[in-house]
Amino acid sequence: MSRSGRWAAPVPGTSNYAENVLREVSAWTRDHPWQADSLLAVTLFAFSTQQIPSGSVVTRVTAIVVSALLAATVIPRRRYPVAAFAVAAAIAAAQITLGVASNSHEPVPGLQPNATDLAILVLLYTLAAYRPRPVSLAGLAICLIGAGVAIAFWSPAHGAHPTGALFAAAAGLGGLTLTAWVLGDSVAYRYRRAYYASLEERAARLEAERDAQARIAAAAERARELQERRARVIDESAARLRRIERDLHDGAQVRLAALALTLGEIKENLESSGDDRTLALAGAAHQNAKDTLAELRDLARGIHPPVLDRGLGPALGILAGTSAIPVGLTVSLTERPSPAIEAMAYFCAAELLANAAKHSGASRITVSVRGQDAGLVLSVTDDGDGGARLVPGGGLAGLRERVQTVDGRLEADSPPGGPTIVTVELPGHA
Amino acid sequence: MTAAPERLRIVIAEDAAIMRDGLTQTLTRRGHDVVAAVADGEALRQAVEEHRPDVAIIDVRMPPTHTDEGLRAAQAIHRDRPGVGVLVFSQYIETQSATELFASAPAGVGYLLKDRVADVSDFVDAITRVAHGGTVLDPEVVRQLLTASRRRDTLAALTPREREVLSLIAQGRSNAAIAAALFISPKVVEKHVANIFDKLGLAPDDNDNRRVIAALRYLES
Repeated sequence: MSRSGRWAAPVPGTSNYAENVLREVSAWTRDHPWQADSLLAVTLFAFSTQQIPSGSVVTRVTAIVVSALLAATVIPRRRYPVAAFAVAAAIAAAQITLGVASNSHEPVPGLQPNATDLAILVLLYTLAAYRPRPVSLAGLAICLIGAGVAIAFWSPAHGAHPTGALFAAAAGLGGLTLTAWVLGDSVAYRYRRAYYASLEERAARLEAERDAQARIAAAAERARELQERRARVIDESAARLRRIERDLHDGAQVRLAALALTLGEIKENLESSGDDRTLALAGAAHQNAKDTLAELRDLARGIHPPVLDRGLGPALGILAGTSAIPVGLTVSLTERPSPAIEAMAYFCAAELLANAAKHSGASRITVSVRGQDAGLVLSVTDDGDGGARLVPGGGLAGLRERVQTVDGRLEADSPPGGPTIVTVELPGHA
Repeated sequence: MTAAPERLRIVIAEDAAIMRDGLTQTLTRRGHDVVAAVADGEALRQAVEEHRPDVAIIDVRMPPTHTDEGLRAAQAIHRDRPGVGVLVFSQYIETQSATELFASAPAGVGYLLKDRVADVSDFVDAITRVAHGGTVLDPEVVRQLLTASRRRDTLAALTPREREVLSLIAQGRSNAAIAAALFISPKVVEKHVANIFDKLGLAPDDNDNRRVIAALRYLES
């Protein structure tokens, strides 16, 4: 029962049955203008059949033909409102001038105005509804003039001088005419308002679309800009770390080594000269210097392993060499990634090896690096106990976050009982 | 410490002036003759050609690329002038570089961590051994080789003492030096060496250099 829309059939017995019928009729007339207007024409013509004047055959035929013509003008009213109105107005003008009895002449019986003249009101309504206001105002003026002339012809001939009769005739004809015009104009007004509203809506939609497109373009531009900036920052930071390591190597480390050498010599000299207290002090200083050297070396290597300058293969080879668990290493890269990516792959491998050594209980680790698209895939596999998880704040999650800073990916496959396979995908450059 | 029994002719290649000067002074004080102290690989090769030293002490990292010029120069010198000992010293232990160096040059080669200069007498001793055609491998490299070796099971069959001896063999020590280092008699060392080689399935070899190579190949294989 909730069916709605143009073709919903009227449902008898419901409260808005009449409304439904009206809606159906108006929808039908809208969709079948020719049929509807033909029906209207027939109706108008039917009214006139009651008023066919008695007289000769010519008079009757004339009356019927004129009425039929007048009624027929409403048929094309929607397609050709002005033309239809003009024809109807011409016929009506002929009726008024020739068919209305006046003092000067006898009326032509076949041209007497009759009910079919309502067609002109229908056409005025149509003009007001479908054509610009100046046109419909012209139509209104013509109708009012016609009405005025008709009254002017008719009233002296019928001796209808009293103002009451004149006023009634003027009010009747003028009122009907004005009403037709006002009704049509209000329809036009509604149409126009709806049309303007739709135009405005369309303009607003277009503008919104343009805005959205501009915003998307701006966002894409911004994303590209940020990506470039990020790549620059990552590359710069990798280069800076490399410089720091070199500065340490050329500066503090070499000075400290020279200091340790001198302290070593002092210690050995004291060993032969026999001052035990000074020897103990020199020995402590010597040991300190050596320990510091070792610490500094670990620190520098953590900043940037210099062997990375020779490529990922040699660097991972050395890393594999220092692993507490034997490592099988295969590296097959056709071209070198950027230094920042090499460093990231290296530190990932280092951390994964350290993890495996600490937690997995593995007896063997395999590290492989191969090229993929413009980047590389690093995978570290151990035959340990498995069960490695990506938990927030954990080592693997931290690695994943680092890898994601260059749009890389990290996946861990580690079923209980092993093996554990961690795969890291990195682009060729940040 | 007694002065070295002979005066070695030494070339030093090290790009850091402070280290170059320190080594030169130390070695001179120990009675050796530093015939040239240079700062890069090209100058090193020229100095070796000019002076034909007993030994060249070479830093791995030197200009222009600061990567492994020293290593390449050492290999070239050992190939072209087998009579010149080469002792490479490096800021970082790079097992691969070390074993590469040893594979191409079975005698008169050394690879030490730079820190070892601090133990002056040991360092000078290592220079002397390399100058005399011996082999010196940093204990840390040997330790890494032992840890990373795939022959864990066989190595596990060694007693702790035998592992110590194997480590010293791989470092290039003679039986006498091993005996002195472990405070045991040369006879006991010989017995340990025989046991080790037996357990690892290696042919016994009295030549110090050859047995270093055998040990390294074993650990690396």
